Amino acid sequence: MNLTQQLINGLVLGHAYALIAIGWTVLLGVARLVNFGHGQMYMLGAFMTWYLVSRLGLPYLVAIPVAMLAGVAVGYVMQRVMLRLTLAQDLVSIMIVTLGFGYVLHGAAGLVFGSTGQILETPLSTRDIYWGDLWFTWQDIAIVLVAIAFFAVLKYVIENTGVGRTARMVAEDPALSLLAGIDVKKVYLAVFAFEGAAVALAAALVAPRTPILTSMGFDEVIITFVVVVLGGIGSVTGSYVAGIVLGLFTAFFGALVSPAYATAAAFGVLIAVLVLRPGGLAVAPGGR
Amino acid sequence: MSAVLEAHDLVVAYGGNQALHVPHLAVGRGELVGVVGANGAGKSTLVNSILGWSRGRPRITGKVTLQGEDISQLPSFARVRKGLLLIPEGKLIFGTMSVAENLASASIGDVPAGRKAYSVDEIYDLFPRLKERRGHLGSQLSGGERQMLGIARALRLGPSALLLDEPSIGLAPRLVATVLQTVKELADTGLAVLLVEQNVSAAIEVVDRLVLLERGNVVAEGPAATMRDDPRIAEAYLGAHAA
Amino acid sequence: MSSALKWPAAAILAVAGFFAPVLLGGSPAVYAALVLIAIFAVMSYGLDSIVSDLGEVSLAHTVFFALGAYVTALLSVRLEFNPLGTLAGTIVAALIAAGLLGLITLRLREFVFSLVTYAVAVVALTVASNWEFIGGSDGLRGIPAFEIGWLGFRAVGDVELWPVAFLLLLATLYLMRAFRRSRLGQAAIMVHLNPRLATMSGIDPQRTRVQVFLFSAPITAAAGWLYAYQRAYVSADLLETYFLILMLTAVVVIGRRLLLGPLIGVALILAQEKFWSFGGYVDRIILGSLLILVLAYLPGGLFGLVQTLAEARRRVAARSRSTSPHTTARKADA
Repeated sequence: MNLTQQLINGLVLGHAYALIAIGWTVLLGVARLVNFGHGQMYMLGAFMTWYLVSRLGLPYLVAIPVAMLAGVAVGYVMQRVMLRLTLAQDLVSIMIVTLGFGYVLHGAAGLVFGSTGQILETPLSTRDIYWGDLWFTWQDIAIVLVAIAFFAVLKYVIENTGVGRTARMVAEDPALSLLAGIDVKKVYLAVFAFEGAAVALAAALVAPRTPILTSMGFDEVIITFVVVVLGGIGSVTGSYVAGIVLGLFTAFFGALVSPAYATAAAFGVLIAVLVLRPGGLAVAPGGR
Repeated sequence: MSAVLEAHDLVVAYGGNQALHVPHLAVGRGELVGVVGANGAGKSTLVNSILGWSRGRPRITGKVTLQGEDISQLPSFARVRKGLLLIPEGKLIFGTMSVAENLASASIGDVPAGRKAYSVDEIYDLFPRLKERRGHLGSQLSGGERQMLGIARALRLGPSALLLDEPSIGLAPRLVATVLQTVKELADTGLAVLLVEQNVSAAIEVVDRLVLLERGNVVAEGPAATMRDDPRIAEAYLGAHAA
Repeated sequence: MSSALKWPAAAILAVAGFFAPVLLGGSPAVYAALVLIAIFAVMSYGLDSIVSDLGEVSLAHTVFFALGAYVTALLSVRLEFNPLGTLAGTIVAALIAAGLLGLITLRLREFVFSLVTYAVAVVALTVASNWEFIGGSDGLRGIPAFEIGWLGFRAVGDVELWPVAFLLLLATLYLMRAFRRSRLGQAAIMVHLNPRLATMSGIDPQRTRVQVFLFSAPITAAAGWLYAYQRAYVSADLLETYFLILMLTAVVVIGRRLLLGPLIGVALILAQEKFWSFGGYVDRIILGSLLILVLAYLPGGLFGLVQTLAEARRRVAARSRSTSPHTTARKADA
């Protein structure tokens, strides 16, 4: 095993995980909401990008924002449908509804894109970089850079801007936010639209690393879940760190033990953490 | 004196049960109206329903006007933006934000002419204590400081009418007088204030008029001076024995 | 309905249920559909007690279902156990698994609880597709026919399997009814609706949760037990989301805490898939949308909708009678 190569793999994977989890982090941190359709939204983002690039021949940089717009639409519709449940804070029903949405998205994607696997090729993913005996692609570099930039901007917005403050107020107490003149419904809709855009962006960047299938999405939810809980449920910085730790863990576990059980092992670690500290590692509504 | 805030035929019902019925209630410019009554008489229900706000899901009917404009159909947050501010009982501020952030986040942009939105500096002049504590988190404040911050947040939003739900609850007797005096001064600046109070003897010292609620109905109403002698108030709330 | 009438009515319903395949024409397709409805309904009842009574969402019930099927396959293929032996094995395995999961998730609530159970399902899928001992991605084949020698009973097809499936369903219905009347069922509801009051009434919420889990898992696993015989093979596809969505939809579509709710729900869904199917993908969209729409717009389920409509009609009728007798009279004339 080449240690440095695994380190690079782990770091790239870690940034990919963090990027995939960003929508959920905001969802939980800001709105105290969950989305079990997250993985299928990731799948949809990947297929949208694939369709736009390889079927319609659009440039990759144009395809990404279009896929993100589709993500916004899906997120908005989801929240619109379950707004009543959100306002009533009926988490049990929300979980089931989002699971149902994921199932519908899977069916719809199968209908449109078929059941065969595809490869999402981008101008960056096909260009390799060799550095001594180390290997990675420009796509990997893009993932790392975009993830870092996204997290930095997000952290700044949440902590220092009016939008961020509004979001944190709604997270802490939706009823009290109404008394501060905040249109809570609008905030919930915006947060879900953001979740859709963020996961589509993550898909457009990360999906070129592996073949894409309409049946995927399962693993992404679990990875996201592990990242979000280990990172301290809703904490932006925490998610970033947890993503990287998980990426390194997966890379080394895959190289040393077995790649097939890497997700299962990551989950095992999570169980251990949850049993020891049921609240995750840190919990603060509207966390930083 | 024209009424700033007026309610007609306000009815609140949970399921089929009527919890409150107020045929008419008006608060004028610069007027401080107190609402008193026993626990469960519907005092909080009254102020919450004027704003169309609640943590449960009641059915609210009737007409509420602010500066002559019918606001009954507006969602709560829109009524807030019109200048109707509620300082609810208990949790009034955001605990995970500092005092300064709590004040900074209370802003709705441009306030129309005729309404005054306090600047952060004006707030600190009014409540010097908040200035001293501006770096502390909301959750670290004492009860009195929270009450001040709750009122301050409302003032930041440029109110034309204030609804206060038991501002004295849980406060030391000395603080109760201070808080109610502040409320009185705010009314004197021209705000219409509806004050719900459990502490009748303290409230009656500052209010212009008093409304007595019992089981969701208005049973007595009048100027503070006359209400002081009303046997229903005197016996039940002021501890006086009828001669 | 008075209690004196309830038992005979239930008995008549049970007898009618047993002859349902004959009443529906008795074709092999009808038998096949009804056996599956019975199996999936039993599967859903296990989840029903968690969702409707305990008020939590377990996404790990596909694991119990698959566990029942896998244990049955292993015991019958490798050790040649008869169906009663495999049923006993299934129940023991389900109790152990539920106990473990219950302890792990003891202090978790709401979405963290659900996520852990979801993750358990994903990990189970990974393990089932990769572990050679239980057949890996090929699964286990060659499960013998359902045969109990000393009873002289042998079921080779769905027609012979129907009585078994029906008995399992009846037993499950009885258990659910008993559960809801039991101290445990009452405790679960209290923990669900008012945890503080429950604690003050001397109920230990964590203990109640584990107990409800222990009640629920064997029921869903028993459905897996019979499903293994019905299909004659097991594989990792038992852990697919389809079964989870099917269970959840069945539990909520008619209305929660209705004894026959999940059964009717499963029957509706399977009837659509077996007799009015639009292909796999569209069926997915239909099932998922049904789940979404009921939860988002019909909090009381279809039964609640019917009740609301009936109530509204009664109110309109009462009003027109009291305010203007003329209108009603004219309507009656028309």
